[in-house]
Amino acid sequence: MTTSSLSLRLAGWLAAACLALAVVLPAQAADAGTPAGQQAARQLTQPGNNAPVWREVRQDQAHFTNNPGNEAGVLIQSGGNTWRQLRNGPVTLYGGALVIVVALSILLFYKIKGPLTNHDPLTGKLIQRFPPYERVIHWITAGSFLVLALTGLAILFGKHVLMPVIGHTLFGYLMVLGKNVHNFVGPLFFVSTLAMIGVWARDNVWQNIDALWIRKAGGLLTGEHVPSGRFNFGEKTWFWIGVTILGLTVSISGLVMDFPNFGWTRGNMQTANIVHAVAAIVMLLLSFGHIYMGTIGVHGAYASMKTGYVDETWAREHHEQWYEDVKAGKSGHPQG
Amino acid sequence: MARMKFLCDAERCIECNGCVTACKNEHELPWGVNRRRVVTINDGVPGEKSISVSCMHCSDAPCMAVCPTDCFYKTEEGVVLHNKDACIGCGYCFFACPFGAPQFPGGNSAFGLRGKMDKCTFCAGGPEDNGTKAEFDKYGRNRLSEGKLPACAEMCATKALLAGDAPVVSDIFRERVLRRGSTGDAAWGWTTAYGKPEQPAAKEEAK
Repeated sequence: MTTSSLSLRLAGWLAAACLALAVVLPAQAADAGTPAGQQAARQLTQPGNNAPVWREVRQDQAHFTNNPGNEAGVLIQSGGNTWRQLRNGPVTLYGGALVIVVALSILLFYKIKGPLTNHDPLTGKLIQRFPPYERVIHWITAGSFLVLALTGLAILFGKHVLMPVIGHTLFGYLMVLGKNVHNFVGPLFFVSTLAMIGVWARDNVWQNIDALWIRKAGGLLTGEHVPSGRFNFGEKTWFWIGVTILGLTVSISGLVMDFPNFGWTRGNMQTANIVHAVAAIVMLLLSFGHIYMGTIGVHGAYASMKTGYVDETWAREHHEQWYEDVKAGKSGHPQG
Repeated sequence: MARMKFLCDAERCIECNGCVTACKNEHELPWGVNRRRVVTINDGVPGEKSISVSCMHCSDAPCMAVCPTDCFYKTEEGVVLHNKDACIGCGYCFFACPFGAPQFPGGNSAFGLRGKMDKCTFCAGGPEDNGTKAEFDKYGRNRLSEGKLPACAEMCATKALLAGDAPVVSDIFRERVLRRGSTGDAAWGWTTAYGKPEQPAAKEEAK
């Protein structure tokens, strides 16, 4: 086969392909069902009436553009306004109100009821409640949570609360730091939350004794001593709803916003932001309760997580079943 | 006081991307940042329309509303500008903006390291003193302070993109619409409302 006959044959195929395209493409374009088809049809009957185009640009679709950016082909995105209304509206207003109301209620509760104290005198004999690895996991999670909560609150409420006090410039510089701290500490919180779920899930499963705790509302109002396992039902609620469900929801929605390199759309980010803000605020409200009970609310609770050890009296009065198990030397409660 | 606005005439835009290039060149924009872009709707189909879009300098700007550090401000001419020193690169303006105007030189980096937000300034610079190097380095040329209009609109070959004081811009567009209307060309909605008396056959088809 000579070169010329090859090029002749190639030219023939090319012409055939062009003809085929010429037949197929306008047929597609003229499909009156598509917006493009509607516009093409409208130009025949009413030249200059671009209503189909203007309708099309409000449908959040990508069109042709030479700009290589993500979603650059979308001329107008409508989701942004919905996100703005939700974030600047109910999330900021009700979120802020709830944070203040819950914090004040706990303070009021403390003023009225005071802390839960031991009924009997301390024995001076200590038993181990949290081995070192549990305390390390707890404090990494707790520390990163506090950092994230403070910086997160500053991102949502800072310009209403902090900026009028410390001024625009200082607030701006602090927020550059705050935003980056938030973005880098976030993944650490995710990892330590996973570790926490791993080490404590077993002791947080339902036990029959929890029904008694629910019936007596934990003795929170009466000051009565209600027996429980290693963790009581209140702690279990915080563990499953606060740490597990909300912790993971906040983490995953946060990771979506923290890693835009995976090519998320603005719509994904808007959804993630609302989910993140709502879950974080609810988690913060629950954490107020947990932090209160773990510090000023219950004598001896803070020391247990600080040193890992509790007095036998404390163990018997707050977690009687667990105390019995430890005394009986049951497996799963090693005494180091 | 003037109220600065952009207007892109879809009947005139030929998708040459001259505005994009003029803008990028005028402000010496960083790699990957285009403050303006041209989008073609129904590309390759009869009746395709191209529109050049950037920051529209909204009256009730969503970027201003959602910014956690309130780094945006509006000039007396209605131009929406921002202070890069206060910008934390959170991307919220980019989530909120309907037009996709805010750009980030860091783009989509891990840990949300986007860099300072960059957007169209209507060629009006930033909070620094007019015409200073600091202003140019952060925001680009301040043409408005020199009595010039934005480079994109000045450069537009077909004068599809208009920029300037709102009454002037709308007068130009109104005149175009009236002229086109007389030839049945592009007064949006006119044929829908009043039909096309010179082509009764086409009107029948439309029914």
